[in-house]
Amino acid sequence: MSVTKTQTGITPAGTQQEAVCWSCKAPSGGGHFCAACGKIQPLSREADYFAFFALPQKLQIDESSLEQRFHQLSWKLHPDNFVRASEYERNLALERSSELNDAYRTLRDPISRVEYLLLRAGVRKEGTTKQQAPPELLEEVFELNESLDELREAKSEGLPAGAGGDLTELRAKLTEAQANFQEKLAEVDAELKAVFAEWDDVPVGIEGDAARKSVMAKLNELLNRRSYIRNLVRNVGIELEQG
Amino acid sequence: MGKTVGIDLGTTFSLVAYIDTAGKPQCISGPWGATLCPSVVSLDADGKIVVGEAARQLLLTQPERTIYSVKRLMGRGVEDIRDELKIFPFRIDENSRNVIRARLGDKYFTPSEISAFILRELKSWAEDFFKDAVDRAVITVPAYFNDAQRQATKDAGRLAGLEVLRLVNEPTAAALAYGLHKQRRGRVAVYDFGGGTFDISVLKLISSAEGDIYQVLATNGDTHLGGDDIDNALFAMISADISAKFHFDVRANPEAAQQLRKVLIAAKHQLSDFEHTTIGFELPDGRTYLREFPRADFDKLVEPIVMRTMGPVKMALADAKLKPSEIDEVVLVGGSTRIPLVRKIVGDYFGRAPHAELNPDEVVALGAAVQADILESGVKNMLLLDVTPLSLGIETMGGVVAKLIPRNSTIPASAQELFTTGVENQTGIDIHILQGERELAQDCRSLARFQLKVPPAPAGLARVEVKFLIDANGILQVAARDLRTGEQSSIEVQPSYGLTDAEMEKMLEESIEFAEQDFAQRQLIEARVEADTILNATVKALAREEAQSLPLAERADIDSAVRNLRQAVAGTDYKLVRQRIDELNRATEHLAEIGMNKALQAAVGGKRIEEL
Repeated sequence: MSVTKTQTGITPAGTQQEAVCWSCKAPSGGGHFCAACGKIQPLSREADYFAFFALPQKLQIDESSLEQRFHQLSWKLHPDNFVRASEYERNLALERSSELNDAYRTLRDPISRVEYLLLRAGVRKEGTTKQQAPPELLEEVFELNESLDELREAKSEGLPAGAGGDLTELRAKLTEAQANFQEKLAEVDAELKAVFAEWDDVPVGIEGDAARKSVMAKLNELLNRRSYIRNLVRNVGIELEQG
Repeated sequence: MGKTVGIDLGTTFSLVAYIDTAGKPQCISGPWGATLCPSVVSLDADGKIVVGEAARQLLLTQPERTIYSVKRLMGRGVEDIRDELKIFPFRIDENSRNVIRARLGDKYFTPSEISAFILRELKSWAEDFFKDAVDRAVITVPAYFNDAQRQATKDAGRLAGLEVLRLVNEPTAAALAYGLHKQRRGRVAVYDFGGGTFDISVLKLISSAEGDIYQVLATNGDTHLGGDDIDNALFAMISADISAKFHFDVRANPEAAQQLRKVLIAAKHQLSDFEHTTIGFELPDGRTYLREFPRADFDKLVEPIVMRTMGPVKMALADAKLKPSEIDEVVLVGGSTRIPLVRKIVGDYFGRAPHAELNPDEVVALGAAVQADILESGVKNMLLLDVTPLSLGIETMGGVVAKLIPRNSTIPASAQELFTTGVENQTGIDIHILQGERELAQDCRSLARFQLKVPPAPAGLARVEVKFLIDANGILQVAARDLRTGEQSSIEVQPSYGLTDAEMEKMLEESIEFAEQDFAQRQLIEARVEADTILNATVKALAREEAQSLPLAERADIDSAVRNLRQAVAGTDYKLVRQRIDELNRATEHLAEIGMNKALQAAVGGKRIEEL
């Protein structure tokens, strides 16, 4: 590991509109490279992943054209292109190409894409997902947890003679429950997709504010539900495997 | 500026390659005529470092002063290698902590220093080949190497007097060489089973308007699984057999152990081409151990080792979200893929015959040369998009790891974290960085710890943003910024395994002691020897009778060229010496002609025509 103590190319205070090229001092145009002299530009702290790809903040993204754009930008921004550039430019390229990769990684997956959108809007906080069972699932979750406890108990007690049948039954029950929840996960994903379309139809500007707020709340709720169910499926999977 | 090369710094062998005038990558041969340089380093009785084939010979006669497979020690701590010490004859300084120190004779060296000796050797091979200095290189590392192992490799390059332009993952380098060779498209799995490490990488090869993109989708591996393990299994089996039959403990006798190891490696190689071999070993007391060894027995012994590669293969495919049948091509890299059982297991799994057209020993170095050329020339018609093999995280409350950059993220990759204080007037925030897939910090690889300095303030007021960035070499960089002041915070990072800046500086100074082999110096020595030869010959020729027939002007030219050369030899500029040698050569052309005619007349004159 090496430690950079130098400035990592964080833009000094200034707004995007009047971005000025660090090299030729002409207006840079706010893109990856200066519109006037073509030198790589520092990242603006306000820029987001959508803007990086010159995309509007929409949730339905054509993944193959995103990939194509990713490859095009990789050709231009990869540190390979800057091996013989000044240290400052090398740092800018490092920062910008890592941002490119981070942005692509986040946007290419629909779930991380919507999580990012909500995170930026302040609707969602990183790492804090509500671990409460959605009310309509309470009963099934309760039953599942009971079976899980029984399985753990049976496993910790070892296998007494004649208990083999019980264990097999328990496993079958859990496998069924797992499949059931997996189905629910698919349902949530389908619902999310529908709300993606809803989000993309919200009018821009002030007139869409109310709709935007309500769609975001809906998305957030769905994401919480999704992560809850996903954890369940995963935990059951781990218990079944460990047997 | 000197030349740039690609180097495969391997566990058992290392190679150096370059791009020839036709644009084709080629490996450079050493003084023994081979392109493979054994990764063996020995300290001879005079305190001189010996590397490569010569060191491999010394392994048999002075095993205590010789070290091999040092790559296994790169970036590791003493507690990591306890198990290996039972199998490998490493002599480790028990006081080593963050960085292992291995003993060669009466001296201790870090793995980076020992690797630097190997790199220096390859550097001199290339310099002898180019007749020019070599000062920059692309060096390959196993894809599954962690941050510390990569940093140790980079340090080795620096200690060898090389600017490391890039560390490239071995399977990716191989894919590059293959892609160039065959213009492949689609999804490629590179199965790289070498002397000490195993890697599997799944790549997507894409043609675009700008050129070819080699995008790594997923990688996995085991940095301690390779041909060495097969050798050790063979050794354990045969030494037990010898002990049973002759009551002789080979392990207790280092010379005999190395001799047996050599015999067994030869037998292993034989079984790649033949169904059958005979293991013959002469005990120090003259008795002979003989054993018929069919390939079936060998396969049975090594199957469990080969099967250990399949776990990482499955994980890499799962991460790439691909089924084995969705792989268009399978490429074999590394000497251990010559084993027929390996080919069979890999072929069966993917349901297709794997490719091995390129020499599996050379292909990684060739790929490194391709990447070196891209970086050096700036002319780019291909682009490597590699990934970080391990997730990066920090330790949080309760020793749990919070993942910041997931494994198989395209590099460079980064993540930002905001930190604050929990206690009033707290002046530091401790941060522990880890690499690995496990949930708990204690199960992951500790990369480094550092403390963020913050001015005393009420709890929760501080706002320090830390940026973790993995560069294109797969090496982590950390930068911190105080959001309230906008200033860069200073951080002192203590690597968990690796050299601190101060240690590195000290080693760089010490490495000069071994830099006597440096190109300029070597060239000067050679040029002086050549100058001596030509000066002696000129003086002798001038003393001969036929020299009297030389025109005066010519004679004056020769005298002045001799004076000039003598002056140059007294200096240290090898280029000037060469130039003056050429001048003297030109000045004495006529003289040489006269001398030649005379010698010819003498030779012919003494013999009859039929004898000629």
